[in-house]
Amino acid sequence: MTASSTELRAELKALLVSALNLRGRDPASIDDDAPLFGAAAEGQAKGLGLDSLDALELAMAVEERFGVRLPEGEDARFVYRSVATLADYVAGAAMQGNGPGPPGPR
Amino acid sequence: MTAREGRIWITGVGLTTSLGSTREATWTRLMAGERSMGPVTLFDTEGQRSRIAAEAAHVPALPPGVEPSSRTAALAWASAREALGHAKLSPKRVSTGLCVGTTTGGMLETEEILASALAAADPRVGPDAGARARLTTHPLSAVGDALVDLLGPFARVRTLCSACSSGANALVLGATWLRHGSVDAVLVGGADALSRLTFTGFNALGAMAPDACRPFDRRRRGLTLGEGGAFLVLEREGSARKRGVRPVAELAGFAMGAEAHHITHPDPQGVVAARLLGQALARAGVAPPEVRYVNAHGTATVANDPMEARALEDALGPSLDQIPVSSSKGQLGHTLGAAGALEAGLTALAVERGRLPPGVGLEEPDPACALRHVGPRGCEAQVPVALSNAFGFGGMATVLVVRDAYGGDRVEDAGPARLGPRPVVVTGVATLGEVDAEGALASLDGARARRLDRGASLATALVARALEDAGRRGALSDASQAAGAGIGDEGVGLVLGSAFGDVDGAAAYVQRLLAKGPRLASPADFPNLVPSSPAGHASVYLGLRGPVLATGDLSASGEAALVTAVELLGAGLAKGLVAGALEPRSRLVEGVLGAVFAGAGALPRGEGGGAVVLETADEAAARGARIHARVVAAFAWRDGGEGPVQALSLPPPKDPSTARVLRVRADPQGRAMLADSPWAACPEHVGVQRSSSAAGHHEALGAVVFVEAVGILRRGEAREILVVGTAPGRGYALVLSAP
Repeated sequence: MTASSTELRAELKALLVSALNLRGRDPASIDDDAPLFGAAAEGQAKGLGLDSLDALELAMAVEERFGVRLPEGEDARFVYRSVATLADYVAGAAMQGNGPGPPGPR
Repeated sequence: MTAREGRIWITGVGLTTSLGSTREATWTRLMAGERSMGPVTLFDTEGQRSRIAAEAAHVPALPPGVEPSSRTAALAWASAREALGHAKLSPKRVSTGLCVGTTTGGMLETEEILASALAAADPRVGPDAGARARLTTHPLSAVGDALVDLLGPFARVRTLCSACSSGANALVLGATWLRHGSVDAVLVGGADALSRLTFTGFNALGAMAPDACRPFDRRRRGLTLGEGGAFLVLEREGSARKRGVRPVAELAGFAMGAEAHHITHPDPQGVVAARLLGQALARAGVAPPEVRYVNAHGTATVANDPMEARALEDALGPSLDQIPVSSSKGQLGHTLGAAGALEAGLTALAVERGRLPPGVGLEEPDPACALRHVGPRGCEAQVPVALSNAFGFGGMATVLVVRDAYGGDRVEDAGPARLGPRPVVVTGVATLGEVDAEGALASLDGARARRLDRGASLATALVARALEDAGRRGALSDASQAAGAGIGDEGVGLVLGSAFGDVDGAAAYVQRLLAKGPRLASPADFPNLVPSSPAGHASVYLGLRGPVLATGDLSASGEAALVTAVELLGAGLAKGLVAGALEPRSRLVEGVLGAVFAGAGALPRGEGGGAVVLETADEAAARGARIHARVVAAFAWRDGGEGPVQALSLPPPKDPSTARVLRVRADPQGRAMLADSPWAACPEHVGVQRSSSAAGHHEALGAVVFVEAVGILRRGEAREILVVGTAPGRGYALVLSAP
């Protein structure tokens, strides 16, 4: 999988906060690996507790900002897991779109 | 009222749908298992996931001279006219009320105009005369206004929005008018045309199937939008017998409530739906084994169908195994505001004709929806009792019980009809205005209020304040209490008035749609554009599980909400209702719509509103609530040119020297209504008197004046007050007395 840059992850965190109206939340306080959706498991960093309506809004915001279409359905679960997985997907898709390069995430 | 007079009969049904522009055309094709779902032709759907709908092929044109009009109004008129004909009812000769459920109003014709008006540097300069004329069709109340022009006169007219249960709630409210004896017949139903806004919105939510929908099928992928108009005539059995008309069926029972769960997703446990099913059956005096058919909400979304199946199981128990169930949305699509009325109409015809509507689109039943499904063609079966479900966005749900007209005991349900309406009292008040708007917004839990737009946020804060004043909820900032479950307020609901809905939001949404295409339409913004959304959001945030709905009647929207709440409480449909109105700032209302409707020269528009907690006297007594005032009576009327179409029987003041009249605005109509009344002798005030009430000039003023009236009574400055609120051609009056 393509590793995403710190800058991309930071942009995504900012996008999460603005697109989902997470008022008062400092993007930098969002852990790269914290679960975005549902409750956090024990030992995991505290999640954002987003729901499926947020997932739809986020997908639209990512497409608008990065021109990348996120997958739907079962394929989407892994991608939406955390900022890190999302950013990696976006980085990979962007690289694919820009010509030959390492294969993107499945 | 005798028991015989007490049954509510359905004496007329009118339907205009994708299957046909008349009742019989729709019914015949429905029973043959047909459906008419195909590519949308009304507007471009390029690039969208789903591009089909159940579009009405023939929408009868309105008579000449009624332009501009909306497609929604045309659908309403065709079906309403047919219902009147079916019932052989002339509103000119019989005192008739009209109640309309709709979610889009004139959105199809005005969405683009609004988008360009918003984009204009100064909206005041924006639309030309033709566009301004079209804008008169925009508000939800414009549909009812068109029906008044074409089919009236009506003694009273109300417009409701509760998302997908709007049409069903119109039937319920009309039934309460009959029970209270306010009118002798009601024309009730709903209509919605397709629009770009709703079509792209449901697509953005991923809620629309790419092909024709499959209710209860394990392969279902969402709903198919439809459009239509459906109206019923209801009247008391005694009135119908006097008129010599045959009934179609009886509206035997009903229940309204809200899930308080999520603005778009149903509660998978179906707890509230099950409760409402049970309540409706109890009110009808029907036990589960007597139910012989269920016309399901059955939208074919992934979430709805199993929830509904579960609720039916919980409410009907083992009897469900023998009860055939079908969803007509597999043929007619989801007709939004029309759906509840349309499907109630089909259910009534099923009962009358002994035939079950089919379940089309279902080929492989989902095991999670373990129901006895009707096959793809209608079948014959005796249906002494049937259920019709409507579960809307934001969890606003309604269940109707339809019974054979001559079936059932001739004994009333233990309702208020024999005793008159239940007494209603005011137990809490609140206002909100420009000075405290920001503080109110800040008082909300940011995390739980993040999806709410400004209007919904202010409305939620206002409702919360009123509930606190009534001693019905803890501090706003207590997040755990605010989670809703702890309140368990099943009996408390909400009726919120709004003149134009979130018109800026709708315009911005369409602007974005036209500029960036449908893929980038915002799925989170779309639900906020249904006019019932502030009420829905408030009910989710505050855990209110009683009836929840919005009313719209231009600058008398708050008055409409108050009177509606009194009517519902009087009929025993809730223990408590927060009622009022909140109008947020709006570029379009201030720049365009205000002038279109109220005329130039109106005072600068402010932002704000008022709300009161109304409870039945019994409920207030049971919990030892402090009573601020008693509601003596509530009236609604339409002006027939020489005063109200039907004279109001206002109770006279017991003592004019300690009674007052509070008029929301100075207007000749209110004057004329009072002219020959004993209240004319009482001191009168116009508008808001106390400068501390923080009210601006906006369409929610009526609610603020009502709060002021309550304050006057509490302070002992008067013993009785008549509050009168009007908008062009219509008015509301409430009589209050000191506690």
